[in-house]
Amino acid sequence: MLLTLARHLIPHSAALGLLQTAAASAGQKTQLASLTGVDILVIAVYFAIVIYIGFYLRGAANTSEEFFMAGREMTAWIAGLSFVSANLGSLELMGWAGSAYQYGILAAHWYWIGAIPAMLFLGIVMMPFYYISRVNSVPGYLSLRYGEGARFVSAISFAFMTVLMSGINMYSMALVMKVVLGWNLNFSIWVSSITVAIYVALGGLRSAIFNEVLQFLLIWLGALLVPILGLIEVGGWTNLKADILKRLGSSEYVHMWSGLGHFTTNPMGVHWTGIVFGLGFVISFGYWTTDFLVVQRVLSADSIRSARMAPILGAAFKMAVPFIVILPGLLAISVLPFKLFPESQTVGTALHSYNEVLPLLLVRYLGPGLLGLGVTALIAGFMSGMAGNVSAFSTVWTYDLYGAFINKKATDQHYVAMGRWSTLVGVLISVGTAYLVQHAASIMDYVQQLFSFFIAPLFGVVILGMLWRRPTKAGGFWGLLCGTITAISLWLWVKEDPHALRYVALSPDAKDMAENLYRALWTWIVTVVVTVIVSLFTKAKPVKELEGLVYGVVPLPDEHDDHWYQKPILWACIVGAGFVVLNIIFW
Amino acid sequence: MRAELSIWFFAGVQFLAFGLIIFVTGVWELSHPLVNPPVLNRLHPAVWWGAFMTLAGLAYTIKFWPKRS
Repeated sequence: MLLTLARHLIPHSAALGLLQTAAASAGQKTQLASLTGVDILVIAVYFAIVIYIGFYLRGAANTSEEFFMAGREMTAWIAGLSFVSANLGSLELMGWAGSAYQYGILAAHWYWIGAIPAMLFLGIVMMPFYYISRVNSVPGYLSLRYGEGARFVSAISFAFMTVLMSGINMYSMALVMKVVLGWNLNFSIWVSSITVAIYVALGGLRSAIFNEVLQFLLIWLGALLVPILGLIEVGGWTNLKADILKRLGSSEYVHMWSGLGHFTTNPMGVHWTGIVFGLGFVISFGYWTTDFLVVQRVLSADSIRSARMAPILGAAFKMAVPFIVILPGLLAISVLPFKLFPESQTVGTALHSYNEVLPLLLVRYLGPGLLGLGVTALIAGFMSGMAGNVSAFSTVWTYDLYGAFINKKATDQHYVAMGRWSTLVGVLISVGTAYLVQHAASIMDYVQQLFSFFIAPLFGVVILGMLWRRPTKAGGFWGLLCGTITAISLWLWVKEDPHALRYVALSPDAKDMAENLYRALWTWIVTVVVTVIVSLFTKAKPVKELEGLVYGVVPLPDEHDDHWYQKPILWACIVGAGFVVLNIIFW
Repeated sequence: MRAELSIWFFAGVQFLAFGLIIFVTGVWELSHPLVNPPVLNRLHPAVWWGAFMTLAGLAYTIKFWPKRS
């Protein structure tokens, strides 16, 4: 699924670039590969399993708790894998592989510092509050903490953006399939969306989660051979580094931190403060701890311990993803016999863009059968992302909009039926969006920007409300509003006057990527300052009303770990240590 | 109602099905070489990757085979 960190917060991201490249070149290029009968068989088996799971789990989605929350019966492993899978879309895979070709190993920051600390923080600090408050969604938490107004704004923006982005991804995927395999656009859009609609509408969140776990495994199965064979071809990591140095004349493509002392000493044009505070803190924490698309997976856990372990396990798997995403991008620098170019230079030509790295390597290394597995991995990634979107949309619509404001007293069966229908409607809106962007591609950029305007302010308000008793309803409202206005204003400022980037990113040498990191940081600071000031001048909620919602108001329930090695904090420390070691190794 | 089939059973079946298809294809290619083989095809990745998937799939399918009760 493309709708990830890049989708939310990076307007000129690899993901968007991939889409634009594909859109521009779909008509001009000959397809990269043809599938054999064996490849088609692999893809057919995958679709058969996916649809079977939907029908099989139909009987396990009879109540609203079962349909929207998977009965809160998922183990830590299943919730954790699903948590990562909902984020790991095929277009994100391809987009970030392209970024690695363009910017080198710096792209791995979006998988490590841009994810791991936030996921561990979610598991250790925030999850207990989401879980013990028994809310069904992030807007639901906002409702309890800040009132119905915050819930409405959060729910409506999330629901709207989720189905729009789902459609954009659907169109992106169909375009990639057209460029790579020559598949018909309508065929790709309708087959994939109907399949997702069937299994989510039938089995609800449980079905989405089951498939996401299988899709996560499939992504690894299909993509893992590329870095393995690539490393064999180049003679190992040391030889790869030497070859990249020889070809590009810069060692900064294989170092994560050593070139971040100044904006001009790394290929991305960013500074370490932007990576640490903008990406590592605001953007990452905003996405991984408040975006309901991923948080919903953890809420389905069967206990508070599972809910805390799920993001920690997810973080461990997330940390390994650069092996199948970033490494192929670096390998492509060394092994491809031709150069790749920015998307703007490939339009109307036979040239390939950065973002075609992964499909090019799949075709380079994989023969019949294995190529089908690789293509299935890309399809699986797309479908897991779309299922994540529509299941989250269905939940927020039914609980936080329909159930909260339109029909508060319906029966449980009615809400389940509404969930099934809203799943189908969500898919149809996504399909409509896919055809809409086919004729007006520029709206994609605006939709992605719109999403980015809400993430940093939402994180500011949620984290303050969770860790401090004092924030009030008015404080939350004005903090959210001022933060969003700040984000929009900074974006407009740089859009109208590109030289303003020197002020937003604090350097005349900053490049596009730095703008997003610093804009998020300023937005978050404004949100927090306004929330604090307004809250101090308005009346706080009685402590009794904050039970289960705010840190320190009531003790958290004991998790009854039988053994010391079952404690989530221990595993968080182990994953955290792995994160530190990896950053030092690739410093 | 709880689902009776474990998710890991589905994972095993998926691995097994894909593994068998790819392994058989790889073995077939040993006697019927490809006209335009991909890079490093001399290492026969379809054979060992297919075999790995088949074994892993078989292990999971058996371990998580639905209980009769």
